[in-house]
Amino acid sequence: MKTIIRREFLEHIQSLQFLALLALTVILFAANGLIFVRSYQQQNDFYQKQVAMKENSPSTRVTYLFRRPNPLIFVAEGGNKDRPSGYSLHPKGALVAEPMNPRTFKLPDVLPLDWSFIIGILFSLYVILLSYNAISGEKEQGTLRLVLSNPLARVKLLAAKYFSLLFIVLVPLAVGALLSLIIVAALAPQILTLANVSRIFIAILLALAYVSLFIFLSLLVSALIPRSSLVLLTLLAAWILFAVIIPSSSIVLVEKLSAAPTEAQAAKMFEPMVQKEVWAKIKDIATKAERGEYKSEEEVKEAADRAFEEGQAKVVAFYENYDKAEKERTRAAKNLSRLSPAALLQYASEDIVQTGDEGEEQFLRQLREYSRVYDQYILKKVGKLVRTSNWSFGTEISLHGKTIEIHSPEPQEYQGDKSDFPKFSERRTPLAVSVKSALFDLSGLIVWNIILAGLAFSAFLRADVR
Amino acid sequence: MLKTIIKREILEYLKSAKFVSGLLITVILTTVSTAINVQDYTMRHQDYLDAKKELKSNGFEISMFREPQVLSTLVRGKDRDLGNFLKFSVMNIPSRLTGYQDVEQRKYPSFSGFPAVDFAFLVRVVLGLMVVFLAYNAVSEEKSNGTLKLVMANALPRDKLLLGKLVSGLAVVLSSLLISAILAFLILLFHRAVSLSGADGLRIAGMMAVSALYLSVFYALGLFISVKADRPATALMILLQTWIFLVIIYPNLSVTLAEHLCPLPSEEALQRQYSAVYQKYSDAMKRANEAFDKNPRQFVEIWSTIAAENRKIDQEFARRQTQQMKWAEFLSALSPAPLYDQVMNRLARTDVREYERFMEGVNRLWQKHVERSRLRYTDPEAYKKTVLPDFSYRSDSAVDSLAATWPQGLVLLLFSLILFVLAYTGFLRKDLR
Repeated sequence: MKTIIRREFLEHIQSLQFLALLALTVILFAANGLIFVRSYQQQNDFYQKQVAMKENSPSTRVTYLFRRPNPLIFVAEGGNKDRPSGYSLHPKGALVAEPMNPRTFKLPDVLPLDWSFIIGILFSLYVILLSYNAISGEKEQGTLRLVLSNPLARVKLLAAKYFSLLFIVLVPLAVGALLSLIIVAALAPQILTLANVSRIFIAILLALAYVSLFIFLSLLVSALIPRSSLVLLTLLAAWILFAVIIPSSSIVLVEKLSAAPTEAQAAKMFEPMVQKEVWAKIKDIATKAERGEYKSEEEVKEAADRAFEEGQAKVVAFYENYDKAEKERTRAAKNLSRLSPAALLQYASEDIVQTGDEGEEQFLRQLREYSRVYDQYILKKVGKLVRTSNWSFGTEISLHGKTIEIHSPEPQEYQGDKSDFPKFSERRTPLAVSVKSALFDLSGLIVWNIILAGLAFSAFLRADVR
Repeated sequence: MLKTIIKREILEYLKSAKFVSGLLITVILTTVSTAINVQDYTMRHQDYLDAKKELKSNGFEISMFREPQVLSTLVRGKDRDLGNFLKFSVMNIPSRLTGYQDVEQRKYPSFSGFPAVDFAFLVRVVLGLMVVFLAYNAVSEEKSNGTLKLVMANALPRDKLLLGKLVSGLAVVLSSLLISAILAFLILLFHRAVSLSGADGLRIAGMMAVSALYLSVFYALGLFISVKADRPATALMILLQTWIFLVIIYPNLSVTLAEHLCPLPSEEALQRQYSAVYQKYSDAMKRANEAFDKNPRQFVEIWSTIAAENRKIDQEFARRQTQQMKWAEFLSALSPAPLYDQVMNRLARTDVREYERFMEGVNRLWQKHVERSRLRYTDPEAYKKTVLPDFSYRSDSAVDSLAATWPQGLVLLLFSLILFVLAYTGFLRKDLR
C-alpha cells in the first residue's frame, strides 16, 4: 500500500494541476496575509481611538461600546465589513448599531479573500481537477486491470488513492497557511497568541475535513462513471451547486416562505402604532386634566411620563420582535444552505474564530449583561431610569386654568463625579464555547465524509474494472 | 466542403453527452433561477408600492423611493443592496439610501458575499464552462485519435477546417444561449407582476449580443488551446485553469487591489470634517436656536447652510468611492468576466451608475426644497404659489445604455478576434502527424 501511495503522490506532484495549485496558493495566501493584517490594523487603530475618546466622557444618558476588531478575520471574514463597529447603549438596554457602514459598497461584489474562500471555493475545485480521473482514467488506459491483477484488495487500492490525494492537497494547504502566518507574524506578531494559534489550527483541521469529502466525492463519481470527461463535468456541476447555487438561493427562498412582515409593511405600522400607544393616551390625560381629574401639576406630569414610557415600550417591543423575526429568517436560510458543505465549512470556520453571526451574538450578549450594570449605575446616580426617546414632543395641557408644559421624558445627565463609571471590558469567547458552537457544522462535514466514503468504497467494490 | 464539415461537427456536438448534460443543467437552472428572481422582484416591487402609498412626505420631511428595476430579474447586480428609501428635510439630507424603516439597511451580512444566481451568472459560469468543455477537444482530440491526418489528406484547406469548427461550435453554443434566453424571456413575459416595455426589449437584445460575444471569447480561447496542446486532457486542464483564473481569481484580486491602491478617507477624517463645520457655525447655531420663535428665518438659514456643507463632504466622499469603483473596473478589464458583468449591469440598470443618477435627482430636489423653505420667511406669497415638484430623475435610456457599453463590447470582440487569429495561425503551422 505504501508503494501505491508513493507512486500516486509522485505522479500528482509532477502534474500541471498540482503546479498551478501551488503557484496559486502562494499568491492567494500571501495576498490574504497582507490584506487582512492591514485591514485589522486599521480597524484596531480606529477602535483604540474611539474607545479612548469615549472613555473620557462618561455619561448617564448614553454610552458607546465598541467591538474589539477580530484579528482572525483572515481565516474567516464572516461579513465583517458589513457589521457595525459597535453599539450605543441607552438606558433600559436600548442598543443602536453604530454603523461603520460598508464604505466600499460601490465596488463590484466579490467574496472576501479569506481562508474559507480560498479553501471552500478554490481548493475544492482543484481537488476535483486533481482527482477526477483517479479511477476512470486508469480504467480508460487499461492500467486498472493490470493493477488489480496483483494480489491487492480493492479497498486498499482506493484507500491508497485517497491518502495520496489527501497528502498532495495537504502540501499546498500547509505551504499557504504557513506563508500567511509568517506574514501575520512579521507584520503583527501580537496576533499570534497561543489561543489564536489553536483556533487557527482547528480551522486547518476543518479545511482538511472539507477537502477530504471532495476527494471522496471525486472517487465516488470516478468509480461510477467510466468516462473521465463526463466525470469531470458531473463534478463541476456538483461544485457549482455546492459553492454557489445552494447558499445564494436559500436566502431568497426563505424570504419568500417566511410569514414575517416585509420591511415596508413593518414601516407603515409605525405611525399608527405611535398614534395609538402614545399620542392618544397623552390626549386622554389632557381631557382628564381639563375636567379637573388631577389635583396637581406634578400628578399630570407623572401621568404623562408614565403614558409615554409605556407606549414607547410597546413600540420598542414591536420592533424588537421584528428584528428577532428577521434574525430567525437568516437562521432559517442558513440552515437551508447547510445542505452545502461549502457553507458548512464557512460557518464552522466563522464560529471557531468568532467572526460571523455567532461572534456578533456573543458580543451582544455581553452588551446586554453590561446594560444591567449601566442601568444600576444610572439609578444610583440619577435616581430614575428613562428610556431615550426616538421621537420627542412638547405640548401644553391646561389644569384648573393654569397651563402646564409637558415634554417627553429624557434621560438625565448626572453632573457630579463620575469616576466610578462602570467599565466595559469585552471578553473573548473561550475556545471551548467556540468549538461547541461549531460542533454542528463540524459534524455535518464528518457526516458528509462518512457517507461519501461509504458510497465510494461500495461503488468501487462493485465496479466493473474491465 | 465547408457545409459538410459544419454539418458533421454540429451533429457530433449534439450527440455528445457533455452538450446534452450541459444544456439540461442550463435549462433547469434558468427556469428555477428566473422563477426565484421574479418572485423576489415581485415582492420588492410590492414593498415599493406599499411604501410609496403609506410613507408619504409631510411638510417637514420629504420621502423618496427607489423603484426596483424590472430587469433585475435577469441581472440582479446591486439592485437589492443599494437601499430603497430616503427622507430629507431642510436641516438634513442623508448620504445614502436606507431601508423603508429609515435605518441603514444591514441585512444578512452572512450572505452578502455569495454571488446571485441569475441569467448573467448562468452565462458567465455555467454556459462558460460548457463552452470550455465543447472547445477543448475540437482539434486536440482529432490529433490524438489520428483522424486529423486523415481529414487533411483530403483536398481541404486548413483554414476551412478551422473555420468550420469555429462556426459549428459557435452555432451550438449560441443556440443553447438562445434556448435559455427564450425560456427566461417567456417566464418574464407571462408573469403578471412583470411588465416589459419596448425599451426593455432593446436592452434584452443588447444583453443577448454581449452574452454571445462573451461566450465566443471563451470558444476562441478553447480553440486556441486545443490547437496548441496535443493531448485533449492537457488542453482541458489548461483551459479550466485559465477559466478559474479569469472568472474567479482575477476579478477578486483586481477589486482588492483597487481598494488598496485608491483608499477612501478614513471614518475619522470624515468625522473631523463634519465637526469642523459644526464648530464654524456653533455660535450662530446657538443664537438661531434661542431666537427660533422670533426669527425662524435665521434658523432655517443656518441649518440649511450646515446641511449643504455636510452635503459637500458627503459628495466628495461619494466621488472618491466612484473613483475607487472606476479603478476596480479598469483593473479588471483584462478578464472577459468582469467586462461582461459591467455591460450586463449597465444594460439592466442595476449598477452603481443608475444609483448615482438617482442620488443626483435627490440632490436637485433637495436644493429646490431648501430654496422654497427659505421663501417661506422672505416672501410668503411666492412660497404659497410654488409647489415642490414630484421627484424624478434622469434615468439611462436604452439607447444611452447601449451607447455607453460599446467600448466593453468592442474589447470582448477584440479578445475573441485575437484569440481566433492566434488559433488560426497556430493551426496553419501545426505539425499534424
